[in-house]
Amino acid sequence: MTKFLSLFRRSTGSRELRRQPLFTGMSWLVLVFLYAPIAVLVVFSFNDNRSVVRWTEFSLRWYAAALENDDIRRSAMISIQVALTATIFSTVIATMAALATTRGGVYRGRAAAIALINQPLMIPEIVTAIATLAFFSILRQLTGVTGIGWLILAHTVFCVPFAYMPIRARLSDMSVTYEAAAADLYASPWQAFRHVTLPLLMPGVMAGAMLAFVVSLDDVIITLLVAGPGETTLPIYILGQIRRGVTPEVNAVSTILIGLTVAMVTLTFFLQRKQK
Amino acid sequence: MIDVKHVTKRFGEGQTAVTALRDISLTIPEGSFFTLLGPSGCGKTTLLRLIAGFELPTEGEITLDGDSIGHLAPNNRPVNTVFQSYALFPHMSVARNVGFGLEMLKRPKAEIEATIHEMLELVQLGEFASRRVDQLSGGQQQRVALARALAPRPKVLLLDEPLSALDLKLRKGMQSELKRLQNETGITFVFVTHDQSEALAMSDQIAVMSAGAVRQVGTPEEIYTAPQSRFVADFIGDTNIVSATLLGFEGDKASIRFGEGTPLTVQTASTSLKPGAVHVALRPETIDVVDEGADRALLRGAVVDSTYFGAGSQMLVRLDDGVAVLVQVATPRAIGARVGLECDTSMLHVLED
Repeated sequence: MTKFLSLFRRSTGSRELRRQPLFTGMSWLVLVFLYAPIAVLVVFSFNDNRSVVRWTEFSLRWYAAALENDDIRRSAMISIQVALTATIFSTVIATMAALATTRGGVYRGRAAAIALINQPLMIPEIVTAIATLAFFSILRQLTGVTGIGWLILAHTVFCVPFAYMPIRARLSDMSVTYEAAAADLYASPWQAFRHVTLPLLMPGVMAGAMLAFVVSLDDVIITLLVAGPGETTLPIYILGQIRRGVTPEVNAVSTILIGLTVAMVTLTFFLQRKQK
Repeated sequence: MIDVKHVTKRFGEGQTAVTALRDISLTIPEGSFFTLLGPSGCGKTTLLRLIAGFELPTEGEITLDGDSIGHLAPNNRPVNTVFQSYALFPHMSVARNVGFGLEMLKRPKAEIEATIHEMLELVQLGEFASRRVDQLSGGQQQRVALARALAPRPKVLLLDEPLSALDLKLRKGMQSELKRLQNETGITFVFVTHDQSEALAMSDQIAVMSAGAVRQVGTPEEIYTAPQSRFVADFIGDTNIVSATLLGFEGDKASIRFGEGTPLTVQTASTSLKPGAVHVALRPETIDVVDEGADRALLRGAVVDSTYFGAGSQMLVRLDDGVAVLVQVATPRAIGARVGLECDTSMLHVLED
């Protein structure tokens, strides 16, 4: 035990930490458990066999089957429709919120406003989901309005804090002198925003939009409770399918989703690096 | 002409309020190179921001050619700024940066193009029009910032320590460049700096500021040779400030005496000072070193240090009352030697505290 403790006491620098055998082993273990299942899923989506445990031959037949499946196509279209609309609305709202919390001067309640915008990230999603379900039921009854708008509204709301974070980060890093210079050169507040603030903010807005899109695209819990009949999104459809066992078809759809998500996250990463 | 009338600027409210400017009044003549000079925190940048419109005065008024502008938004003032950090728009080409002001004013395309060309020629960056801003050196960015601020032909150009980010050699070049641009355009330049040599070299008029107040306004020569207060004398150049006794006034001159010496008639910043102990400014280059016993010696002391600087030496003499005085000489005396100091009494100047 003392030997174990002294091992930590000595490892003050990161270089020393990296040399510890325990550290390297642990890292590999985590990485394997994280990515091995995904790798298996991806590999078997190309398997020319109904089994998801026995490899026979490379094939794209499950992709073809998935793309020809009407239910998958319909739910994919709904997912994209919801994610795109929610992304646009939440990004616009998040941009306005970020402007108000970084460019509106110092005012009472600014810290509280920032906390309120970010708080949904900390609330367990199931709580938000149940609360939204109950609240929307009341609203639906009161207004008599039905349709996919409610689902889009729910997605918009939980996407706002995700879109807000990179936009606000970008704005905080951006010197206010650019806006002062624009105003000095006869730009009205709107012209200054249009010609200077927004173009400089664009990498942050794109990063926020992509985060929002990804978060909306693979949401399950809130969608499960809020979505009405005929509003089955792709993750909900997949969830329904695997109750009858994992099929190669589901593997193929999941692989497409992973590819899409990885592409988005990578793009976000490069956009955020470019702004430095 | 800019008139600053009784302007006070406070930041914050109540107990925590900070007064950055206290009842400032100032007239900046049209077409002049006017410098606001002072140590950091004296309020010079705040005054500049008030003229630009980035801050609004708490009290008082600012007029430009008789029109009140103190409460207009920055985009409604015919005033442009060269920022300390340049603040060039990184997502635009050099040409679009320069044309931005005219573009916002919705001038015809042909006029904008012509002005961009003319301005880039003026700052000798003609071939850089299509470059990106981050492909330019610091000195070139500085010139683009100047061209951008001059392009809309403002009535007043404000410059916020624009040379402080440049190295010494580039800074000297830009000083004469700025003077040339001011002469060629005839635009009023209001220049903020904490560097007294820069202020003396470039300005038509200097306003020396400290602690939110204007201490003295005058030509560089007036400021240098006839400082009114200890603060101004101390801030401009290596001035010696020595103690003397004020005996009285003869017209607009003062009669003073060093120690028990003979009375001298010298210039004075004010004729309302009370007789008694006063401070007198004494420029190092106006002092001669003589033998201690010489009748001409006004002050006496011992050499405590001497520094050779090529063209001569600088000697530090500690007077008998303990005040240290800098003197420039061709051949220094030995350290520890007793000396007398003589000077042209017309260059002596009694200061207000």
